[in-house]
Amino acid sequence: MASVGQAQDSLLTYKKKVLENTEVDMLMSYYEQTGTHAAVSGGIGNEALTNYTPTIVVKMPLSADEVLTADVGISAYTSASSSNGNPFNKTGASGGGYNDDDDDDDDDGDYTNGANTAPSGSPWVASSGASYKDVLTSIALNYARSSEDRNTIWNTRLSTSFEYDYESFGIGAGVSKLLADKNAELSLKAQVYLDRWKPITPTEIHEFLQFGDTFLTNDRSYFWNVSVIDAQGVPSTAYRPLAVDYDRVDRNTYSASFLFSQILSSFAQVALFADFVQQEGLLSNPLQRVYFSDRPNYFIGEANQIPFYDTTQNTAVFQLADDVERLPNSRTKIPVGARLHLYLSERLVVRSYFRHYWDDWGISSNTLQLELPIKLGLNWKITPTYRFYNQTAADYFAPFDQHLSTQSFYTSDYDLSAFDSRQWGLGVSYTDLFTAKRIWKAGLKSADIRYQRYSRSDGLRASIVSTAIKFILD
Amino acid sequence: MIKKLMFILLLGCITQGCATIKAYEKININDPDMELNAYICERFETTFQVYREAAAGANGGKLGGGCGCN
Repeated sequence: MASVGQAQDSLLTYKKKVLENTEVDMLMSYYEQTGTHAAVSGGIGNEALTNYTPTIVVKMPLSADEVLTADVGISAYTSASSSNGNPFNKTGASGGGYNDDDDDDDDDGDYTNGANTAPSGSPWVASSGASYKDVLTSIALNYARSSEDRNTIWNTRLSTSFEYDYESFGIGAGVSKLLADKNAELSLKAQVYLDRWKPITPTEIHEFLQFGDTFLTNDRSYFWNVSVIDAQGVPSTAYRPLAVDYDRVDRNTYSASFLFSQILSSFAQVALFADFVQQEGLLSNPLQRVYFSDRPNYFIGEANQIPFYDTTQNTAVFQLADDVERLPNSRTKIPVGARLHLYLSERLVVRSYFRHYWDDWGISSNTLQLELPIKLGLNWKITPTYRFYNQTAADYFAPFDQHLSTQSFYTSDYDLSAFDSRQWGLGVSYTDLFTAKRIWKAGLKSADIRYQRYSRSDGLRASIVSTAIKFILD
Repeated sequence: MIKKLMFILLLGCITQGCATIKAYEKININDPDMELNAYICERFETTFQVYREAAAGANGGKLGGGCGCN
């Protein structure tokens, strides 16, 4: 009788772990893009950009009920657009501009010190300045705890990220409830990001904010001894941007997320998503220039290239900004989406996703994505994908040099313009449920590689290759 | 019009198909490709889409915070 009682006790105390072993995902992507609507130069210019993102995600069982996930990654990017925060190849103090002699010492037809010593730049040429590249580092910790019956999961999340001009701190919590014998799931989540800009403005705006009306003649200014020319190429000291300094640099995001999923049959299930997002603070990008059509234009560089300023023939003249992007200090976003997955056969699944998005800046959009994972035997799978997206323009968007100085809000960032995009690609996956291939105590569970090509109707083109390798640790 | 049709189709699927499937009948539902979330590789695609498009959210990814993105 005692031995039966002991056997019953051991059966009662057994509980399957939520996560049996530590899992490690090693992720990497390489992204590159080209385009002709650089936001830093007011909606025209070189948008070439590359981005590497090595990332590691480690999921560790803390107990039978608890899982801790650590997600650490960096994003190392180079950007021709960002580089033109300071597009000039030299300062005025380093030898640009005009000398005081009456003689043309080098017989080149102008009275500068040496051949073409004035600073110059172009929205079509990447500058070698410090803002040409940067690294974003992100760290997130997620703690999840399941109830005894595994029908309720609580989770909490902490995150931080930082780059040269931006830092973020995030905190969130959520609860998921499995219903109807685990045939349905209801999840609620709340997330707060408390972010902060360290504003970097374009050089001419920065110097104006620092030195005021004397910024062209102050000997400590970047533009001291630099000739500013008007649209006819005549030297002028009349250039004055309308810029004012920022009264707040915080950027906060508050969100509530809702998920409901339901198994429809033995071969179909659906999920509905809805978010409510409220953003407040400095929501514009301090580095992005804006030009007004009702104000005269001023340039630095070679006057003979002004007539074709907005073409790639321009390599040596840059138009000085009238201001930087100004957007409202609040934004409400409501995306709703749905997934429908169908198991057609042991070789083919259809994964579909649809989203409608609305915000109070005048933007509405639709997203449709299809993926067809096709199994080729026990271990291999290919997944062709297609995604279509369209959006309307923000109320505050206008192309290069088409805003008016009387407007309160303005942007020439084509990410907020009206466009549609298409994305297609292919993924290849290898899976080994038994982790036969091992490196020391780590068994290879899966390896994925995925290529996507992205094409936007305003001419932006991008490609991305992503890889993911999952190991299971003993 | 398309949005209304999709909503009706979705509602029909949900209301008509709210069956209770036993655990032993879930062999197809438990296929990894049937999971109702994005593949892990898609996180990088979602990130660049958040930067290059105005819309974000309703997919388990970024909602607009944590970066100087749209």
